Amino acid sequence: MTTTLTQRYIDATVSSLPPDLQSDVRDELEGSIADAVAARTDQGEDPDGAEKAVLTELGDPAILAAGYADRPLHLLGPRYFLTWWRLLKLLLWIVPACALFGVGLAQALMGADVGTIIGEAIATSLSATVHLVFWTTLVFVVLERAGSETCSEWSLDQLPEARETGAGRSDLIASLVFAALLLGALAWDQLRGYVHVDGQGLAILNPDLWPWAMLGLIALILLEAALAVAVYAQGRWSTALAVVNTALSVLFMSWSLTLIGNDLLLNPAFMDHVLSDPGTDEELPRVLATAMTAGIIIISVWDIVDGWRKASRDRVR
Amino acid sequence: MSEEFDPHLQELRRGTIVLACLQLLRTPGYGYGLLESLERHGFATDANTLYPLLRRLEKQGYLTSAWNTEDARPRKFYRTSADGIRLADVLHAEWRALTAAITSLADAPTSPEEH
Repeated sequence: MTTTLTQRYIDATVSSLPPDLQSDVRDELEGSIADAVAARTDQGEDPDGAEKAVLTELGDPAILAAGYADRPLHLLGPRYFLTWWRLLKLLLWIVPACALFGVGLAQALMGADVGTIIGEAIATSLSATVHLVFWTTLVFVVLERAGSETCSEWSLDQLPEARETGAGRSDLIASLVFAALLLGALAWDQLRGYVHVDGQGLAILNPDLWPWAMLGLIALILLEAALAVAVYAQGRWSTALAVVNTALSVLFMSWSLTLIGNDLLLNPAFMDHVLSDPGTDEELPRVLATAMTAGIIIISVWDIVDGWRKASRDRVR
Repeated sequence: MSEEFDPHLQELRRGTIVLACLQLLRTPGYGYGLLESLERHGFATDANTLYPLLRRLEKQGYLTSAWNTEDARPRKFYRTSADGIRLADVLHAEWRALTAAITSLADAPTSPEEH
């Protein structure tokens, strides 16, 4: 005997159910379908037509099975959608840019040509983006199926703060990208050099700064980045943040001015190379030191004043 | 009836099926039989909605079930449990309250501007 339509329908329904449910649902569904078919044939319908009508009315077996197994028929429901979307947006702001920059820097340090650097950086950040979206979504799809209740309830505290200028997302991103560029420039200078003499890279900053002075500078850059994150997290500048900003600027000033004053900032080999150029003024090192000192003081003071200005403005509002 | 109203009607009817099942199954009943009783009482229900619903209510403890093999065709009979009866009473009270609330809207048409 060939398998009947009803058997095929029931097989399709129960096959995706948990094993302990299968035989019970099978028996019950068999009975229910037989009842429904009998009700139709009692009205004078022919058995084949009645069976087809009953099964058509029951609809897609996969939907019926989802009903029995209490499975959602969506990938992500309203319970997780917003959490997923917020997290994904945040990660998309951060990860591809970091991948782009990191790979670009690594390729450059390995001495790749410009085409390779750009190509590799873009390819890696694209695949990082795809991975990011896929894995984040997968985690939430599993959460949706596992039915765990990790979502915190929304409260008024989560309302976005009215953002003051200098405390918004674009400022945060600018600060972080600037810090990353600075670190990259430092690494490039020390590891490969911007100036090449006889095929040898020549660092502009004194290699003797490594490790302590250089680590101090890196720490300062990282602290500046952390400050930018703190400002963003608070949504506004505060007195405490302005104090930290002042301290960081003062530290940077003392770091650089001490080194300049003791002729330790720039690489002596680099200076010799510059001075060996015919027609270079003998006074150049002194002029350069004065210009750098002035520049550093102006930028640092402006940064300190700017922090206090924003703090007082945000306090008034 | 106009199809444009269907989603709203479905929305309004959703949930009444649970109450109707709990009330009808105070006397034991089986899947297809219940489907016909519901229809008779004016609760048009699809079989593919009702059968999984019965399982769900049983899993939640509002229905109990037992196989009856005395008839020609073995059938799974459901019956409203003690918890189910309490749920039915609560749902019924809520339904009456809603009916009163909706009636009051029709009886005392006040414009929203008045406070």
